[in-house]
Amino acid sequence: MTMGTHLLGRTVRGTATVVAFVLIVVPILIVVVTAFSPLDYFEFPPRSLSLRWFVEFFRLENMRNAFTLSLELALLAATLATLLGTMGALFLARRRGWLAGLLQSLFLAPLVFPTIILGVALLLLYKTIGMPVFPGLLIAHCIIGLPYGFRTVLASAQALDPALEEAGQSLGAGPVRTLFLVTLPLIWQGVLSGWLFAFIVSFGELNAALFLTGPGLTTLPIEIFSYLQFQGSQLVIAAASTLQIALIVLMVAFIERIVGIGRLIRAR
Amino acid sequence: MKGAWAWVLAIPPLAMALLFFVGPLVYLFWVSLHAGSQSELYGDALTVENYVAVVTDSFYLTIIRRTLGVAATILAVSLLIGYPVAYFVALQPPRRRMILLLMLLFPLMVSNVVRAYGWVAILGRRGVLNTSLRDLGLIDVPLDLLYSTEAVVVGLMTILLPYMVISIANTLAALDRRYEEAAQALGAGPVRTFLHVTLPLSTPGVASGMLLVFLLTLSAYVTITLLGGPRSKLLVSMVYDTVSAFQWPRAAALAFVLLALALLVTAVILAVLRPRRVQGAG
Repeated sequence: MTMGTHLLGRTVRGTATVVAFVLIVVPILIVVVTAFSPLDYFEFPPRSLSLRWFVEFFRLENMRNAFTLSLELALLAATLATLLGTMGALFLARRRGWLAGLLQSLFLAPLVFPTIILGVALLLLYKTIGMPVFPGLLIAHCIIGLPYGFRTVLASAQALDPALEEAGQSLGAGPVRTLFLVTLPLIWQGVLSGWLFAFIVSFGELNAALFLTGPGLTTLPIEIFSYLQFQGSQLVIAAASTLQIALIVLMVAFIERIVGIGRLIRAR
Repeated sequence: MKGAWAWVLAIPPLAMALLFFVGPLVYLFWVSLHAGSQSELYGDALTVENYVAVVTDSFYLTIIRRTLGVAATILAVSLLIGYPVAYFVALQPPRRRMILLLMLLFPLMVSNVVRAYGWVAILGRRGVLNTSLRDLGLIDVPLDLLYSTEAVVVGLMTILLPYMVISIANTLAALDRRYEEAAQALGAGPVRTFLHVTLPLSTPGVASGMLLVFLLTLSAYVTITLLGGPRSKLLVSMVYDTVSAFQWPRAAALAFVLLALALLVTAVILAVLRPRRVQGAG
């Protein structure tokens, strides 16, 4: 009899799994369902459905602007982070030794580094050098997205057969041509999943944006946060949250179509 | 990519990381060693007074104790729930395992402010829980569930739980089942096999899950503020409040105390679990 068939073990595992999924999924579901409420106040489950809070969301200028800013920021930050991450990954893919190890840790560090401290440090730097809000946010999200772009590309580049690049070079292609004609076409899936991850992370990011957004220039998560903090739980927040979730669903569907969903798990 | 020209590839990401990651942290540390100033970001005099103030002031010490208490509770509960879930996930056939892992990964992509809002909608005075209890006739006046340390623990624990499950499940799924079969063939029952074979072999996943959950707990300002309110502040709230009060040297010192706490607990988790031992390195 193995652990897998032991009755007690099975009961504990099954119960824990149900409890965990309820605790994880239900809060998100409640937000989505509430967003379609026709009433002014919170009622769950709602008796009928309406889109009035989504209309309200796009009617409110600050909400609309926050949504657009988050979208622009995520697009640019993900692109920049993936570009830099790809460069770092291609450089490090076949290197060993302490220097390579150090660089790898440096590029991966923002993944585990408390982002709140990064936010404080960048705000202090920006105040000192007089950095405008948007480029400041972009740089912060680029640093936070860098590990995602770096890691997925590194995994793809290391899985690459070096003979393919050597073949390209021995056939007379210079290093730049080899890069664009051999290496990049072979690792583009890693590049793309890195980009998507960096996009998703930037689109939901809170800790750095908390310090770095300015008057009139706020990201959607921070706009939701300040609404909740200062204006109470109005249902337009539920609509804003649902739009945040909807965009993530769109991105995940996109990942599934382009690179296959399995990559997502392995990329983590 | 070999050759001297390959450094061209390394320079842009390296410059970015040095200028906007390492650099600002060094500068923040430098500022933490200065006296405060009314007119400038920081004063001229070099001093360790900011650190002394943080580690001797009973107010800060209460906050630090509360932070560690909340983090320890979240770690314990998420491990207790997360381990059996990870085991369940790991035992599924590959296709179904993938679907379960995706269902765990998806919530992590949703912004934490949205997930915290979900808990506000559940625990608030007019939230799902209070209205349901009232409709069932169990309570007359709504319960004050929100704005408490307990609300922070429940909310943050569930927000971070998928990290724990995914980390452990990946280790368990990759585990060579023959170890368990060998233990059982040698006469160990299922409980003994679990405690002496499976559990020790899964320490890398447990360690990385605990580290992720702990580090993200320390930074979770928005969740802590929305669910804990003004009476359940943690260390990260102090960092934010001090920045908002423009007390830069003090805020910088608080940030580095937070970082020291992160490194200390990371070291403790790694020393106790010794995950590298399983990977055959030490």
